[in-house]
Amino acid sequence: MGGGNKEALMGFWTTFYALSFYVATLILILGVGYKIYQYTKTPAPLKIPTTPAPLTTGGVVIRMLLEVILFKSLFRSNKWIWLFAMIFHGALWVILLRHLRYFIDPQWVIYPIWELVELIQPFGKYASFAMLFGLLGLLARRLFVERMRYISSASDYLMLVLLLVIGVSGVLMSFVTRTDIVQFKAFMLSVISFQWQNFELSAYQMPPDSMLLVHLAAVILLMIVFPFSKLLHAPGVFFSPGRNQVDNAREKRHVAPWAIKQFEAPQT
Amino acid sequence: MKARYLSILGKLMLGLLLSLTVNAAEPVTSGSVTIPNPPKAKTNFSAEQPCVEPIDVMRRSHGLFLKHSRNDTMRHGMRTSNYSLVTCINCHVTSDEHGNYPSVKEGTEHFCRSCHSYAAVTIDCFQCHASHPEEVISSKVNEVSSIKLDSLGTPNTSP
Repeated sequence: MGGGNKEALMGFWTTFYALSFYVATLILILGVGYKIYQYTKTPAPLKIPTTPAPLTTGGVVIRMLLEVILFKSLFRSNKWIWLFAMIFHGALWVILLRHLRYFIDPQWVIYPIWELVELIQPFGKYASFAMLFGLLGLLARRLFVERMRYISSASDYLMLVLLLVIGVSGVLMSFVTRTDIVQFKAFMLSVISFQWQNFELSAYQMPPDSMLLVHLAAVILLMIVFPFSKLLHAPGVFFSPGRNQVDNAREKRHVAPWAIKQFEAPQT
Repeated sequence: MKARYLSILGKLMLGLLLSLTVNAAEPVTSGSVTIPNPPKAKTNFSAEQPCVEPIDVMRRSHGLFLKHSRNDTMRHGMRTSNYSLVTCINCHVTSDEHGNYPSVKEGTEHFCRSCHSYAAVTIDCFQCHASHPEEVISSKVNEVSSIKLDSLGTPNTSP
């Protein structure tokens, strides 16, 4: 392959990934935004907090935090699934924070913030192994627990496989095949600040490393399927009526707006 | 309804592509996106090759080379000159017009730091190794030792 070919190929991947990134981001933001809108508009006609439930709004906030951060009800129902879930989600957070380095120009932020980004790097590097371990545990649960396998559908596996592809390609880039992270960062900063004229220069183009292309393709696919899949449990958990309602059925009358309109409108 | 959404999406993508081509015709600038600009090395490695490996390889894997070189030297006692940190520093770290070398602890002037601070990669090489070319360090050491001798009032300081 000649130099000219390679240049043309890099130009193609640069355009392809830049456009895919914009499309995926639009789908992710608009899609999740629309789903959240839908969740807020869905009537909850009955007072159904799972008891024992908090009696005040403050209590509900604490309950939701315990649920969202520590997966409290999962802990009570199944310890080993909880362990894998905690390992996976915790590691994913650290890894996401590590990736901030590709989206922040050190000149955009004050130095202490950049120092925090530097500080998280080694933790994120090794969190990737924890994430893979958690994912493999969750995959084993679907494959080897009889009743879990019976209710598992293709999309359940797809999410795990996508995340595994992202994790494995990421680990390979960190420890084995490598990519030019400075060039990739220049590409990413140009994408998020809409500096498309930069893509004319090779220093701002996508580094043509196969692992990077695989990694980003899987990330883009994950962003696109997010609003149409079980990944919506992330915003959805905040809308579980059994968890987000205050147990004040006797103190306060609970009635859905549509019910008032239908049954209690003033007779004319 | 679905067809309408698809056509809107299509137009959006077309718009993006068009603006890309329009921008491409304008003069090339980096805009607001910064990119590291490390100082040039002093000499080329050979007529065919600027550094000890092709530039692409050096950009991706210099960390691995240095780490393996360290393990070979320190743990196995094999001291090779292929990927020697001292040689990197001698060729890549350049002084300003006053003969001062840039700091490896702050700023973006130091060869290593220019990219490492950009990509949030901390380096611990220089907790032990010198971040400046060798000869300067040795002259500094001489300076320091002569000062010590001065304060001791040894014969070589008397007129």
